[in-house]
Amino acid sequence: MGRIVGIDLGTTNSLVAYLDPQTGQPKCIPGPYGGTLCPSVVSLDPGGSIVVGEPARRRLLTQPERTIYSVKRLMGRGPADIQDELKLFPFRVDPSSKNVIRVKLGDKVFTPLEISAFILRELKNWAEAHFGETVDRAVVTVPAYFNDAQRQATKDAGKIAGLEVLRLVNEPTAAALAYGLHEKQRGKVAVYDLGGGTFDISILKLISTSDGDIYQVLSTNGDTHLGGDDIDNLLQAFAHELILQHDEIDFSPHGELAQELRRALIDVKHQLSELETATLRFASPNGKVFVHEFTRGALDALIRPVVDRTMGPVKQALADAQLKPTDLDEVVLVGGATRTPLIRRTVREFFGRQPHVELNPDEVVALGAAMQASILDQGVKTMLLLDVTPLSLGIETYGGAVAKIIPRNSTIPASAQELYTTGVDNQTGIDIHVLQGERELAKDCRSLARFTLKVPPAPAGLPRIEVKFLIDANGILQVGAKDLRTGDQHSIEVQPSYGINDSEIERMLEESIEYAEQDFAERQVIEARTESESILAATAKALANPQSAALSAEERAKIEASVAALRESVSGNDYKLIRKRIDELNHATEHLAELLMNSAVSTALEGRKLAEV
Amino acid sequence: MQNQRTDYFAIFGLPRKLWIEMGALEQKFLQLSWKLHPDNFVNASEHERELSLRRSSELNDAYRTLSDPVGRVEYLLGIEGARKEGEHRQQAPPELLEEVFELNESLDELRDAKTSGGGLVALKSRLESAEKSFQQKLGEVDAQLQAAACEWDDALQSDSATRKKIMAKLNDLLNRRSYIRNLVANVQKELL
Repeated sequence: MGRIVGIDLGTTNSLVAYLDPQTGQPKCIPGPYGGTLCPSVVSLDPGGSIVVGEPARRRLLTQPERTIYSVKRLMGRGPADIQDELKLFPFRVDPSSKNVIRVKLGDKVFTPLEISAFILRELKNWAEAHFGETVDRAVVTVPAYFNDAQRQATKDAGKIAGLEVLRLVNEPTAAALAYGLHEKQRGKVAVYDLGGGTFDISILKLISTSDGDIYQVLSTNGDTHLGGDDIDNLLQAFAHELILQHDEIDFSPHGELAQELRRALIDVKHQLSELETATLRFASPNGKVFVHEFTRGALDALIRPVVDRTMGPVKQALADAQLKPTDLDEVVLVGGATRTPLIRRTVREFFGRQPHVELNPDEVVALGAAMQASILDQGVKTMLLLDVTPLSLGIETYGGAVAKIIPRNSTIPASAQELYTTGVDNQTGIDIHVLQGERELAKDCRSLARFTLKVPPAPAGLPRIEVKFLIDANGILQVGAKDLRTGDQHSIEVQPSYGINDSEIERMLEESIEYAEQDFAERQVIEARTESESILAATAKALANPQSAALSAEERAKIEASVAALRESVSGNDYKLIRKRIDELNHATEHLAELLMNSAVSTALEGRKLAEV
Repeated sequence: MQNQRTDYFAIFGLPRKLWIEMGALEQKFLQLSWKLHPDNFVNASEHERELSLRRSSELNDAYRTLSDPVGRVEYLLGIEGARKEGEHRQQAPPELLEEVFELNESLDELRDAKTSGGGLVALKSRLESAEKSFQQKLGEVDAQLQAAACEWDDALQSDSATRKKIMAKLNDLLNRRSYIRNLVANVQKELL
């Protein structure tokens, strides 16, 4: 098995980090240019190769039509969702694709998922160069307010980049984890996270238990299309207007000049975090130089609307956690945009306390991801994250209304069962529409999936089908159905409404560079062997547990035979056989797994603390 | 995905009582989370991962339900067979009929006034006082619900007829509560 890392896949910058075993502290991995920030920019070289990060960012100026930034804004969305973005961002969307967004880089088209995969692959390369070892698993962070489709898209991007995404962790939660280690804080914490393109607010409770520290998220809220980008857009629109008045030159809002202006304005913005005034100098092609002095006050007035928009979610999150601003013990600022003095001041005044800014706001999320990665990898944990689902899950009922079945801010994993029956005789299907959001009407919520439950023909009202909706620890929906009359269970293929289905993911996988480099079958063998290693180890550990005494002699013999058969298959190169043996061993150990889990539960109920089972 | 629905009270080793010591419940929730959370099973077999997912989601569902005093009563009546799933919207309780009728009339007038623009202020204050009166009724129902919950706890060992009677009472109170709550929510929406 290769190494595991934590990745912050950001709108503007992405980072990769790991837990240094020597110091026990998380650390960001530098790239070939020395810095730890990898600009989330991807460019298609005229020669056909993909360029990611700093060199791609430079191409924003020289080859804007072959280069894309802020692609995170498009993740998990459909063409109809992004009309507003298109006015503000130079995304060159292929108009011919109806259900899936495809962006053009030069003459080629890519899905946002593939673009994100290029960024993830670049970070994977950084880490592999750093360790001199393979990196094949990762914890990837997502905005807490990301919906199901955005999460699924992020997970799929990891897969295409050759990374098994062990967990999606919410960005503010990861930040709290990094701060918890740093500060050893206890109590209630608000994390205000304004990144390049997304805003999150999370309220957490930090609890010390005899087992270890628990980070329980009480509530979360946010806006997945609000961030530093919006500040830059406001600045750009303002400066563009000024230049037009001052000079006769006109330039297209998305061309090379516009990118140059944007760069210069971002510099001005950064300077104004430290200084009271900063000067914009912008040379136009006709030789004239436009000069404008910005004051911090003018910047504040300009960006006030963005800051104000963050406060609605903040108030809602507090109300959901049933807390007042003054109930918080700590406030943490995360994300590059929180360097803005106006934001710091606004947050400080609202909560009535000085926010924490000790950790680098660009790195803190990646650091937390690295910690969670190490926890998942070791299996022996010293802390536990209990996160929540940011949006209510609902199903459409008669008249286009939505019945909420899992309320927002429910601790995940969370589930709900619904019972369905038929309305007319011999009806063979029941349509189910799953939605996410807080609004009362289906048309105002985000559609996650539509599917038809198959029902055997019967008189109306006789079939009884129980559908289970489950949100897993990544915040991703799973659906299963059970016929209560026959006991038949079937998992349901839920086609995501955002349009990318499994076969398309498969195609991207096959086309991705990783798979072109390495023979597909060979890779399958390696993966199957890796998996059998961990299962053999887990089985040996379980058999050593005293609880295994409750197994019958037959069961034990079957497990031992399955272990031997798997061992034997691993020496060969037939990955299908190895998979089959893995399944057989899994099946043979089902009872054992249940025995161990039940014993863990009963010891917990008795309040005793036992070594890990 | 699942065999049988687990009794939420049993998950915490509790009897089916409506009074729950919240501190102890939280402590058990955290201890069980520590054992069952999918984070523990990332490298485990598929069956174990599924088992952990199912049991930790049940645990979270149970904690969410039992932490909410009203959700707890609804759930109890559900597993005792005294309440149908999704039983919410009911006819107006008879003793409230007159007031509800007046309220709906005022609401209609407000909607009309919003489009035509006349007499908003007086209507709003009428509705505000109606809202206040229903809020107060909500408080009363909550108190009655609490009293009936105590009755249930005391009758845990009683015969089934007694228990059924208490359950019917709890069920009526729940319906009444959800009816009034809807009214208040509607008024608040119109007043925004």
